[in-house]
Amino acid sequence: MKELQKFAYPVFFVVMAVLPHMLDDRWQAVAITFLIFSVVALSQDIILGKSGMFNMGQALFFGMGAYTTAILSNEYGWSIIATIPLAIIIPALFGILLAGPIVHLRGDYLLVVTIGFNIVFVQVLQNNLGGVTGGPNGIFGLDSLSFLGYDLMSQISVYYFAFIVLLLTLWVMHNLAGSKPGRAMHYLREDQLAAESIGINTRVYKIFAFGLGAGIAGLAGTVFAVQYSAVSPEAFEFIQSVLFFSIVLVGGSSVPGVLLGVFVMFVLPEIFREFATWRYFIFGFAMIAAMIMRPRGIWPATFGKIPKFLIKENNHGA
Amino acid sequence: MAHNELILTDVTKRFGGLTAVDALSFKVESGQIYGIIGPNGAGKTTVFNCITGIYKSEEGSVLWRGEEIRGMTPYQIVDRGIVRTFQTIRLFGQMSVAENIMSGRHIKSAQKWWHGIIPTPGKKRDELENWKNVEEQLDFFKLSEFAATPVGSLPYGIQRRVEIARAMAVEPTLLILDEPAAGLNDKETLELLETIFKIRDKGVTVLLIEHDMDMVMEVTDYLTVINFGKKIAEGTPEEIQKNPAVIEAYLGSEDDDDE
Ligand SMILES: Nc1ncnc2c1ncn2[C@@H]1O[C@H](COP(=O)(O)OP(=O)(O)O)[C@@H](O)[C@H]1O
Ligand SMILES: [Mg+2]
Repeated sequence: MKELQKFAYPVFFVVMAVLPHMLDDRWQAVAITFLIFSVVALSQDIILGKSGMFNMGQALFFGMGAYTTAILSNEYGWSIIATIPLAIIIPALFGILLAGPIVHLRGDYLLVVTIGFNIVFVQVLQNNLGGVTGGPNGIFGLDSLSFLGYDLMSQISVYYFAFIVLLLTLWVMHNLAGSKPGRAMHYLREDQLAAESIGINTRVYKIFAFGLGAGIAGLAGTVFAVQYSAVSPEAFEFIQSVLFFSIVLVGGSSVPGVLLGVFVMFVLPEIFREFATWRYFIFGFAMIAAMIMRPRGIWPATFGKIPKFLIKENNHGA
Repeated sequence: MAHNELILTDVTKRFGGLTAVDALSFKVESGQIYGIIGPNGAGKTTVFNCITGIYKSEEGSVLWRGEEIRGMTPYQIVDRGIVRTFQTIRLFGQMSVAENIMSGRHIKSAQKWWHGIIPTPGKKRDELENWKNVEEQLDFFKLSEFAATPVGSLPYGIQRRVEIARAMAVEPTLLILDEPAAGLNDKETLELLETIFKIRDKGVTVLLIEHDMDMVMEVTDYLTVINFGKKIAEGTPEEIQKNPAVIEAYLGSEDDDDE
């Protein structure tokens, strides 16, 4: 498995890097969707998979990033690139604020609360609170991407924008896995009392996970807004959150698992058009089967790596 | 100021109508191996939970190095040098032995939250230093061969050792062990005794609960015996062995203390 992964990652990156040149417009759009939803699913993985918190509201942070970009661009005339920092920071701050009072809740309670947040968020968008969200229709006709005076209108540029965002996300997750905060998240997910008893302030790291997951989802929101040059409330409904939640659980808390989940959920239906109506049906069965047969997901999490010098001869290692 | 002393005064913890710990007082001095014994359900684990911040006692005081730690959270107490193990082993089961021990380095690591996002040269150094410490613990506890093994798949005796290794990775001043010999065979128990002595030789004070009388008599310097949450005796192992109240409490419960 390890060797396979070593080999598979470069291949995956190379294929993804040349992919848009081999696809027509429609398929480019599908590929972009895959990239965007992969980033959101990975951000959900930080909260649900890595830290074990039952967050059913990830579409909220995704939407918040998308709306931040749309509003700043349309209402205030910012260039898309300039909206990125706020499209990360605003959802991240909201993630932290919302998580603060709820992270001590047990899994099922947390689940219900985050569903509530998501529903409230969509209601706020639909009712055009503050007069900037555009109501049920949302905001459309966004500017295209431009950078250093170059207009990046083509879909290929959007693809590379999305690809860079995915690479950035993978890089952050890699850094997280080999860091004190990343391990703290694993520990609290495995046994919260043991984690506290070894000196970990679990509350801080739970909130951190929410903030980080929300920030990354927000960034994906920017890409989403660019891709469709529009945002509207129904794209961020709670049912979207259910999808992200299920993808992480069924895929398993690992990069291949999550990407596989996104592929099955969002790309396969495009390949087999008839499959589109069947996808919930099939995914529903996949969820049932996976949870019964592989409760840790199809491609389960591998925890943080340990340095080579600790692995001695005659190791009973995995 | 008193150095590395743990002083409990009139600590009382109730669960509903049950007084699990009843006005208990004792004092652990620096460098001791101190034992708490008593029949099952006597309230030993509950006392440990009150010291380590898992429960807050309703009354009394828990002084550590002259500071009141009653009411602090577990991680605040760990930060002050008190680390514990659990009667029912609590490890991070799916993670490797090395990662489990690394969790003990959490509070020693200088990394901040942003190091989880962006690496810096300082973070790299910090990671290496802490993994080096894990390597030392692996050597000390003879766990090197299991470094990469998921801890949940290991036998009980080794899991116990990993749990103590994890606690020692924190570099505690006071190590609290809740029935460390429970579930161990004779050979493993003997190794455990040796380990406890070696830990004390490093300058760590040890407070332990033990059910096995023979082991307690061999390893501890001083003992407190509790029954129904109350202290019934204290003294050196020799004194305790002769104490009629202790013999009575133990004989009276001899048949149900096979846990
Ligand atoms: N969380 C709890 N809730 C209610 N009762 C408890 C709890 N923890 C312990 N007890 C009760 O307190 C008493 C002392 O338990 P414990 O401290 O575990 O005993 P020991 O460790 O000496 O065997 C027992 O009667 C036990 O049932
Ligand atoms: Mg006990």
